[in-house]
Amino acid sequence: MRPFRRKGSELVARLEPAEARILALLLDQLEQLLTADAEDVAGDPVVDRLLPAGHRSDPELAADYRELTEASLRAGKADDLATVRAALPPDGGTVRLDPEQATAWLRTSNDLRLALGTRLDIQEDTEPPEDLASEEGQQLAVYYWLTGLQGSLVDALAAGRAGRR
Amino acid sequence: MAGPLAPTRTPEETVEEHGDLDRPWVTIVWNDPVNLMTYVTYVLQELFGYDEPTATTLMLQVHEEGKAIVSSGPRERMEHDTSRLHAYGLWASYQRDA
Repeated sequence: MRPFRRKGSELVARLEPAEARILALLLDQLEQLLTADAEDVAGDPVVDRLLPAGHRSDPELAADYRELTEASLRAGKADDLATVRAALPPDGGTVRLDPEQATAWLRTSNDLRLALGTRLDIQEDTEPPEDLASEEGQQLAVYYWLTGLQGSLVDALAAGRAGRR
Repeated sequence: MAGPLAPTRTPEETVEEHGDLDRPWVTIVWNDPVNLMTYVTYVLQELFGYDEPTATTLMLQVHEEGKAIVSSGPRERMEHDTSRLHAYGLWASYQRDA
């Protein structure tokens, strides 16, 4: 991977073929979770993290909030996901994003990290994996790879904003 | 027109409304182990228009104290702010100011 960098008004990165395929697979899995029947994913900690309660102690307010916001939150996530897919070269290569596409990549890569991080029970002191042979080691490696990708996008966008002042 | 038999508001409703005026609602961002510190700072600037030092201070408060109030005002606006934060994956909720 060549991390995201700003080129004029665009944000540009380069993905290896395997990286592009992993990202496409993760997008499919995220989409499945977000479009699953509510009954099938009830109590799933990843879904709870992606669509959290708006109020922590009052179930009535939390239900109001969900009714008011959940449909548009889900629609926003679906739009972002489609934007990421459309700009992802399936066999790797250059990713070139305008500012609007970059925001979709930012939010979706964060959702992927939240999903993986919740599944892997990531804590503040979790370290990158040493054993890449195990399944958990590989998933942790993917998590840290996503962290690098998203981190470079945040840094490039923040630098661009500072430069506009 | 209100006559002597017109329904009056129940005391609870009045208290509730005064409570709304006296004590605003707040939107809180909670610490979580996944969101990058740079990302939280970026999102707070993007959504609330905070300058970088203010957004960084709030982010550090989330990180070190476990939570920070990022906006306050009427309930409807706090619901809206919470949903905007949820769209970015920040761990947010709203409540009446303690």
